Amino acid sequence: MTARFDALTRPKAGDDPRTNSKYLKVGLLLAALGLMVAMVTLIANIAAANNDNPVTAVETLAWSFGLTTLAFGTIKLAISVILIGILVRLWARVSAVKAALPGLKGSGDAGSPRGDIDTDHGAATETADIPEPLPIHKMARKMWFPMVAMGYMLVVVGTIVSFIWSGKVADGTQQAAQAWTAGIQFLGEALLLAGISFLLGSILAALREGGGDVQKSLGLPVRTLKMPVTAKLFVAFMALGLMVGMLQFVLYIVAAAVTSPQSFAAWAAWLGPVREFSLGLLLAGIVLALVTIGNALSFQFSRIRDIVATGK
Amino acid sequence: MTTRTADGFDIEVSDHGLGYNAPQKMGNRLWAPMFLMAVMAFPVALILSFVRASTIADASTQDDFEWAAELGHYIAGIGFIGFLAVFAAISFAIARILGRFRKGGGDVQEAVGGDVQTLKMPITAKIFMLFMMMGMMVIGVAVVLHFVAAASVGTWAIADVERWARVLEGFRRLGVAMYLFGIAFGLGTIINVIRFQSIRIGQLSK
Repeated sequence: MTARFDALTRPKAGDDPRTNSKYLKVGLLLAALGLMVAMVTLIANIAAANNDNPVTAVETLAWSFGLTTLAFGTIKLAISVILIGILVRLWARVSAVKAALPGLKGSGDAGSPRGDIDTDHGAATETADIPEPLPIHKMARKMWFPMVAMGYMLVVVGTIVSFIWSGKVADGTQQAAQAWTAGIQFLGEALLLAGISFLLGSILAALREGGGDVQKSLGLPVRTLKMPVTAKLFVAFMALGLMVGMLQFVLYIVAAAVTSPQSFAAWAAWLGPVREFSLGLLLAGIVLALVTIGNALSFQFSRIRDIVATGK
Repeated sequence: MTTRTADGFDIEVSDHGLGYNAPQKMGNRLWAPMFLMAVMAFPVALILSFVRASTIADASTQDDFEWAAELGHYIAGIGFIGFLAVFAAISFAIARILGRFRKGGGDVQEAVGGDVQTLKMPITAKIFMLFMMMGMMVIGVAVVLHFVAAASVGTWAIADVERWARVLEGFRRLGVAMYLFGIAFGLGTIINVIRFQSIRIGQLSK
């Protein structure tokens, strides 16, 4: 199963790297769909704010909440599809660089691998072989698909529950459905962001493995960056964000059983920021993953330039 | 420097690498401050929400309800400063990646010798920047108006404060959707850049 998900991130035999990416087209279409749904919910919120009937206004706000989260989830799904497209292109790039570099390589002698070294881009190692993937890379390759799939399914289920919430407003029994909507949808959002994080982890794994593959194919010592502090913090933020995301789900289940409207309002007052805190942690982790990718690319370009200029 | 089209890409041809462009330089400088702002804002909103929850749980007077309404606007405002900052940090980090491709690709071509070809800013990158700015403005304005509404509790009727909360909630969410939409285009630009560079390195070896 994992191998099948991993195959999605590799170019298919016979794929022409000159053609436009189908992942890009699908991703941008999904993103446009998500943005349109978000616009609909803005109109719904404005209508609810100007509605003199408080019951109808709250009914509208209930399904608008569910639909907005669906819009965010759809754009996050779009981002996941585009990240798969980036992975496919990265592997095609490895093939292109492997094919081109023997004709561009300088004439110097690289010598033997030197073990631990310092580079302008941070601590690195020089080895004879491609280093084994790090545990987080293996996990990222296994986990991105289940996270994205489960995340989006939960967001859709939560959207359906939001309509149940809306239907219960008139008789005043909406509290449980309201709590379930928020809990389910934001667990889904957290899983989607975790899926995106794992896809970014897979990109880092592809850069590491692909870079090693290119160097080895040229008969050079394989120079690989050690895991930088930004990558370690990325993993920590992601794990913490996911845990808080699961915690808010459990707490919403507890809140669903609260019967007093005043107590329920108090629970809702702090659970909203808890779920946003969870997403904030996951998003902060994503920032650090992107920064790490930027640094890894700098290292790779510098390595290619050295190979071209000096042959080592 | 000349401009031409090859393999469906608009490119600039020069005798040296062009380095980072202005948005990429901005991305290099601004991702870290935005990141720090985000990781500070979310915990502050969370702590204030505990104060608000405690107020609501024990609320019995008009003053209590007004204080809860005021805090509600402050919490939404501060929380969305966090989202504004974290999405800006993500956008700047993507611009930084695009900068690494642009500078790195130029450096490698310079090392090989001959013409340096650099991809002109594609339409996807322009849409990325446009939606990032629009998202930032929509959330920024909503945050300011949340603080205005918070400061007006007591002078405005509670119903008006609630009405503002509903409208601003819609705008905040639209701002987030715009940011995410822009990020999708920023990442899409990376796909096109990798495609261009894969073709280009093949040409260099011939």
